[in-house]
Amino acid sequence: MRIKSFFNRLGSIIVTREIYNDKKSLKTLYRYFLAGLLIRLIFIPFLYQRDLLSTYQRAATTIHTGNYLHDFQQLLNNMIHVSWLFIIKTIFPAVNGVSNALLEQDTWISWLAFNSSNNVFTVISLFKILYLLFDIAAMFLILRLAFDGESEKKLQIFKFWIFNPMVIFILYVFSRHDIIGVFATLVALFLAKKDRKYWALLVLAIGIMLRFFPIMILPVFILYLVRSRKDYLILSLVGVSGLAFVEIFSLFRYGRSLIFTMLNTEHFEFLIAPKLDLVAGSHSSIYIFLAVYAVIIFSFAHLKNKSFDILINYCAIIYLAYVGICYFHPQYLLWTTPFLVIISVRKKSLFYYNWILFALLLVLLIYWGDLVTKFVFAPVDHKYFVYLTGIIPFIQRFYDAAKFANIFRGIFAGVCMWMIYLIYRENKLTVQDEKK
Amino acid sequence: MKKNKKTIEIINAARILSVILFSLILLTVFTGCSGIFYIPGASYGYYIWEEKGDIFVTWSADRKEIKFEGDISTDGEIKGYELIEWEKESDIIDIEKNEIDFTAELDDRDYSDGIKFSVTDYSYIEFDLKMNNGYDFSRINVGGFLENPENDIFRIEKNYFSELEKKHFYEKRPFAEFFHKLFSNRYFTFLYILIFGVIVIEILRITAIAGTSDRKKRVLWILISFLVLAAIEVCSYFLLKFIAG
Repeated sequence: MRIKSFFNRLGSIIVTREIYNDKKSLKTLYRYFLAGLLIRLIFIPFLYQRDLLSTYQRAATTIHTGNYLHDFQQLLNNMIHVSWLFIIKTIFPAVNGVSNALLEQDTWISWLAFNSSNNVFTVISLFKILYLLFDIAAMFLILRLAFDGESEKKLQIFKFWIFNPMVIFILYVFSRHDIIGVFATLVALFLAKKDRKYWALLVLAIGIMLRFFPIMILPVFILYLVRSRKDYLILSLVGVSGLAFVEIFSLFRYGRSLIFTMLNTEHFEFLIAPKLDLVAGSHSSIYIFLAVYAVIIFSFAHLKNKSFDILINYCAIIYLAYVGICYFHPQYLLWTTPFLVIISVRKKSLFYYNWILFALLLVLLIYWGDLVTKFVFAPVDHKYFVYLTGIIPFIQRFYDAAKFANIFRGIFAGVCMWMIYLIYRENKLTVQDEKK
Repeated sequence: MKKNKKTIEIINAARILSVILFSLILLTVFTGCSGIFYIPGASYGYYIWEEKGDIFVTWSADRKEIKFEGDISTDGEIKGYELIEWEKESDIIDIEKNEIDFTAELDDRDYSDGIKFSVTDYSYIEFDLKMNNGYDFSRINVGGFLENPENDIFRIEKNYFSELEKKHFYEKRPFAEFFHKLFSNRYFTFLYILIFGVIVIEILRITAIAGTSDRKKRVLWILISFLVLAAIEVCSYFLLKFIAG
């Protein structure tokens, strides 16, 4: 009896009480879960993008040299990968077979050695299982962020996440680790929903340590969670505590500022690159994204009733504005996904626009060349995909490839703006509903 | 209502068929009848194949300035020849009884050049093909994509192309390499198939099999499913051993 009640409790913790108590919903969720797992399984061993290897190369170097502070800019992320690599190296000897490839400093030689290894499928699978674990955790956590008491809508959230092309592509084809930071952000959102304001901000601060992106939603988080004037100060301090911790640590350990190092990287440059020159030849310009961002923050600040649903909407708006206006890497789109998944249940058309964004992203891969197009298939047969004519020379044969991609980039930006408008309109409806 | 469902099914079937047809047309258009698929102005390298008794030697570059030069010799006799897309005056070709020498440049306007010739009474044809004064035999495709020679200067026998045609798809890249890796890493492969199969069976159990009212039948179906999975595992071992072992 105790065991049964334990499993009942565990079941309702994992899939939420609403779904667990409804046999039909539970069965549907299980079916979705299996089908989603099957789709993921198809991609896991055979495809990856070079960055996956770089991530684990940094982790392998950390283990090899014993310098646990090797990856200065992504300290926490590197530590997670180091721990995972250490576990899989211990359990599966196959990983040791690619040690030389992982420790090789020359990127091209290491890539060739890794892909030509007979164990390549095993090792890629083991590398990606870490992301699968975070993905599974995220798909069950996201269920708790909206539609309490509505099992069908919760099921829809689950369906939209598990079959989401962006999630599948970024985690299992592109193989990037953003899901770790996204998961931390989801935990922060969950805590914010439960009104655990300090914990929520603390977890978001960890999210910022993992990946810089959650800092974009920090102001709306603080505005949502403040209950008194002093909260502004306390929550802001808690919110930046993660970054401050890494900054102080890096100043003491390396004598270098992490924040200024990051401000000087190309990733920050992406934010400020789109600009409007005020006078030709002058230094004065307006950074477009920052202006738009300020409008979004003020718009949220001036809302009288800041419900959790509206917080989700604004997070989506911020990330959509970012990918719509600024240069981005494909994996950055994962940051829009959890929010769009939830909003799509309220507004179905966003689900289709998410698919359009994904289709456009596939065209935009041209920006990054062979590395993210044909080389993704290299584990199957690296020689074949190295010598195969790539999509870029093919397009270049008929039309300028950059112009071609930019046409679709323009449409992509347009779709993002339209989605922002739809969410903004949805905001108004939510506010009106709450007033009633 | 039934009619509607049927109409939808027909439309869906028509859609799938049209996609397949379109893909086939694309494949035919792009591969043509050349024997090797390459895109002039996008692909980079030499492409050599035989068609109706004629030997084709063509080269293409991805719109960069590249000099192609080579020497083709044989113990037979070169009969007829034809130049393919030779635009530049600076491109040189010298054809003798049993030898062809050429030098040709490609650039952002000139995408591809080539020669078509026939040879009689020969036992071999020897090729010495260079790109920008150097050898890169990974970019010399003889009879098929990535059917590369093993030496800088190489020979093909008379029946080379007909022998190549006999090669099965699994002996060619990328399938050969893929199957080789699957077989070399067989424990992973079997575990992968097992996990894949178990998930499929579980989906069947909660959908198709769950619809069966008789409990015994349900158990039987699950048992059969696992037997099929075991058979697939065994077959895949022998298949991979046959292909890549």
